[in-house]
Amino acid sequence: MIERLHVQGVRHHSPACARLVAARIAELRPAAVLIEGPADFNHRLGELALEHELPVAIYSYASTDLSVRRTWAPMCDYSPEWVALTEGRRSGAEVRFIDLPAWHRAFDGVENRYSDAERRYTDATDLLCREFAVDNVDALWDHLVEVAETEGLAERLDHYFDLVRGEADADGHDNAREAYMAQWIRSTLAETDGPVLVVCGGFHAPALRRLAESGDAAPPALPEPPENTETGGYLVPYSFKRLDAFAGYQSGMPSPEYYQRLWEAGPEEAAATLVQRITLRLRERGLHVSTSDLIGARSLTEGLARLRGHGRPGRTDLLDGLASALISDDLEQPLPWTRRGSLTAGTHPVVVEMTAALTGERVGRLHPDTPRPPLVDDAEAEMARLGLDGEGALRLDLAKPKDLERSRALHCMRLLRLPGVRRDSGPTAGADVTAEEHWSLRPSADRLPVLIESGALGATLGDAAQTVLEQRADAEGALDALAALLFDAALCGRAHLTDRLGASVEAAVDDSGDLGEVGPALATVLALWRHDHLFGTAGSDLYAAVVTACAHRILWLAEGLHAGPGPADLGRLSAMRALRDAVRHAPGLTPPARSVAAAAQRIATDGLAPPDLRGAALGLAWALGAPANAAEAAEGVADPVRLGDWLAGLFAVAREEVLAEEQGVVSAVDELVADLNEDEFLIALPALRQAFAMFPPRERGLIAERLVAARGGGDARDLTRKLAVNPVVMASAMALEARVETALAREDLVFGGES
Amino acid sequence: MTNDLVSTAAAPKVQRPPAEQRYATELAKLAAEDESPRPPGWALSLQAARTFIVGDESRGISRKFVGDPSLIDRALVTLATNRGLMLVGEPGTAKSLLSELIAAAVSGDSTLTIQGGASTTEDQIAYSWNYSLLVSEGPTERALVPAPLLRGMAEGRVVRFEEITRCPLEVQDSLLSPLSDRVLAIPELEGDSMVFAREGFNIIATANTRDRGVNEMSAALKRRFNFETVFPIADFKTELDLVEAESSAALARSGVPAPPSRDVLEVLVRVFRDLRTGDANSGRPQAVMSTAEAVSVAHAVGIKAWYLRGGTAVAGDIVDCMAGAAAKDNAEDLARLRRYLEQKAPKRKGPHWESLYQARNLLPG
Repeated sequence: MIERLHVQGVRHHSPACARLVAARIAELRPAAVLIEGPADFNHRLGELALEHELPVAIYSYASTDLSVRRTWAPMCDYSPEWVALTEGRRSGAEVRFIDLPAWHRAFDGVENRYSDAERRYTDATDLLCREFAVDNVDALWDHLVEVAETEGLAERLDHYFDLVRGEADADGHDNAREAYMAQWIRSTLAETDGPVLVVCGGFHAPALRRLAESGDAAPPALPEPPENTETGGYLVPYSFKRLDAFAGYQSGMPSPEYYQRLWEAGPEEAAATLVQRITLRLRERGLHVSTSDLIGARSLTEGLARLRGHGRPGRTDLLDGLASALISDDLEQPLPWTRRGSLTAGTHPVVVEMTAALTGERVGRLHPDTPRPPLVDDAEAEMARLGLDGEGALRLDLAKPKDLERSRALHCMRLLRLPGVRRDSGPTAGADVTAEEHWSLRPSADRLPVLIESGALGATLGDAAQTVLEQRADAEGALDALAALLFDAALCGRAHLTDRLGASVEAAVDDSGDLGEVGPALATVLALWRHDHLFGTAGSDLYAAVVTACAHRILWLAEGLHAGPGPADLGRLSAMRALRDAVRHAPGLTPPARSVAAAAQRIATDGLAPPDLRGAALGLAWALGAPANAAEAAEGVADPVRLGDWLAGLFAVAREEVLAEEQGVVSAVDELVADLNEDEFLIALPALRQAFAMFPPRERGLIAERLVAARGGGDARDLTRKLAVNPVVMASAMALEARVETALAREDLVFGGES
Repeated sequence: MTNDLVSTAAAPKVQRPPAEQRYATELAKLAAEDESPRPPGWALSLQAARTFIVGDESRGISRKFVGDPSLIDRALVTLATNRGLMLVGEPGTAKSLLSELIAAAVSGDSTLTIQGGASTTEDQIAYSWNYSLLVSEGPTERALVPAPLLRGMAEGRVVRFEEITRCPLEVQDSLLSPLSDRVLAIPELEGDSMVFAREGFNIIATANTRDRGVNEMSAALKRRFNFETVFPIADFKTELDLVEAESSAALARSGVPAPPSRDVLEVLVRVFRDLRTGDANSGRPQAVMSTAEAVSVAHAVGIKAWYLRGGTAVAGDIVDCMAGAAAKDNAEDLARLRRYLEQKAPKRKGPHWESLYQARNLLPG
């Protein structure tokens, strides 16, 4: 039965191979046409039969909780696979994809299913390039296949692929795919009596012929995706830009526009229209192209074709001829078609235009009946409803409900990375007060593909954005990144608690070991939860969960913090202040005030805790209404090394309470300071200054007035006024005075003293 | 076959015979087997000329130029049309060799060469006079001393113009009418004073991008040339093979029987490539880190090791040869080389890199 099997190895995106496939289908009238393509798409081949404008691609995704892996199988008019599909169907054959699904391990790291031929650089092709004196495998292919005589092409291809396969090592991934494809071939041969045509990458052809001879002939089952992985696929519009090898990695043949023309009208026509396009492009950009240049290019192209033995001018003949005729400079970078890979910086502008013209701007379009993920329809309806389908600059006033709704839709699109949606300015996660947002909108042909490709994320814009938020929350362990993400959630209007978001926030908070990190997060989220009517986040359950997690975490961290005396840590103090606010204003979300105050009192008396935290804890207890005698506590930390830091903590959290006292902690401190000798005072001074800086100037003035009054009157402003003299001058004067006094005392010259 | 006799007899005496003599047998073989049509005035067809340069092992034709074959294609087709060929590129990218090979293949003669320089005059390009004859006979054809351009036009051969951009601009522009009108006027001669170019005449000019470059060249002259940029060899192994082959041949000519060790050459070529691309995080050197320069360093290293020490070279020998050959007298380049040896060399693995690193203090200064 093996003589009924015809395996046609092809190069993906090769017009000559496409033509050959069509010819073989016409000649063989096969009962079945088996194509290298995702077998899990077989039940949807009808979608491919709709009248699309190519290029389109079968887009497959495999999404887990953590990530989405995406693979494309692009097809254009001249793809052998596409021709096999359409011609096979037309001839009445049974048409089927026989390769493993894109989520299979065999496609790890593969973005473009039809790029594998390009990955087989082998000694064999190098040798052939030498032998035929061509620069690289693309030029070799043109020489041997695209512009060569069609006679004997099939045999030539078989030889070529045998040679390539003979040299290259097939890896485990190849073996898995080939085993699967071979089983399909065997089962199809068993099912039918007629000829069976297999269209596959040439690299696999020799192996498939061999494997088809013997083995299991049962129809292979579709492999099951790994657990917790959701798989699926849709057709998406593709573009020649994405197809071009010059534009990026993992693409097929270079210069798709050239091959499109070659497919439609033959090499002469292709060359003529492309010269015209290139000339137009160059002239549009102000680069000089004279008629004599074009005549020169034409004769060079023909001469090159003849020299290289091409009956008709090929792609590199055309490019080489144009480059020779049009470039009168030394080049910084080699001509891109003499190497493989994408354009490099410094490529000559004429060369850039030439390769761009050969790439083309064709963008595929799906037939309107093509199934699309619900996200596409939802997004389009939303955009139409909100008037976001236009173009240009957009100013939104977030205080207006309609504009807020538009802003939310736009932020969702921004999170989905939809092309042509850009936010120029607007509120940021800081405490800015603007309610105005500026956006620029620009229609883009890439928008639909991106929307379809995001279809795996959710059925509506909001849901898809939510998934993005959740995936990022999972990926971002750090609390500060998470805080930005939470703000994004507010902007999208998605500040709702979901199990996943809640869990990742809790995990991030629990992972944080730094009060200085949790504090600001709590402060920001608490403000959003309490006040934010602009984004409508006041009372949001998501933020409530964050407040709860942060409050518990701060208490936990504070109680375990042991450290010696050191400068007051402002981050630590702000965490304690944020906790105070949370307990005061969101009592339902935090532990009860009583137990927080009790814990605070424990910390305040913990001798191992750093002085600033002890002060802050005392302040917290005091602020929450627990009986606290700050004046008495101050005497416990009269040590000049600790006093200032302790006060800084106290003042940071219980500023109002300190001010409300008539006598109390301030006068206690006054007495303590008066008792310090000069050296001790100098040690205590910096921290004391910092502590009193917790008060705004007006309150500092108030304290000064009380002190002056207690000391018997005077002008309080003398205490707070800035010195008119440079403190350094004062200090040196004081030092000098001290020295003089010592000298006088030594010499017994002190006036008024006893001699 | 006299040509053969001449070349074999002359080979040991002449330091470097021209390409058409060095490869006389290959050229004769190609001409005999050549069945494709030849452009008017050409010694070989385009196909045969290409085979001569890129080589064909099955026919016993050696590969003489390492680079993109498409460059040769474009160059040959350019010459077959009526435009001149301008080869530009960094120094040491084998532009002159390529122009010599092409001239030998196309005209069977690569000796019609004008060497460009600041003092090049039109006399040296077109024609001058035998002054004693000029005085006795007046301006007659007998008194005329043809220079390469005039000979090339009259005989229908390719003229090579080396380093054209080093000539004064007005001297460069003397090529305008020979290139566009294919005619050279000799106004001093009476009567028929125009020399029309015969078929087969064309010009191959070379220019390097480190000198004045081609930017100052007049637009009129630029338009009459097709430009081809010759790049350094892209592939490491190809370059290493070339350095090995060339330096072995050079050492053999210098009477050194021991070929250089491939490991040492590998280190040498890697150093050159790193410095060429500015990979050594210190910018590209002023000096030319070309393949040709690598060959000459390999040559010097081999000679020094053989004649001064009586052995083969080790990687450490590269250092002081490079200081002279590659860094020339440029203090910055020397500093760059030193930094390379200090920072890059120790990171590479292998005894030869170790030896290179140990020898770093041999750098002068």
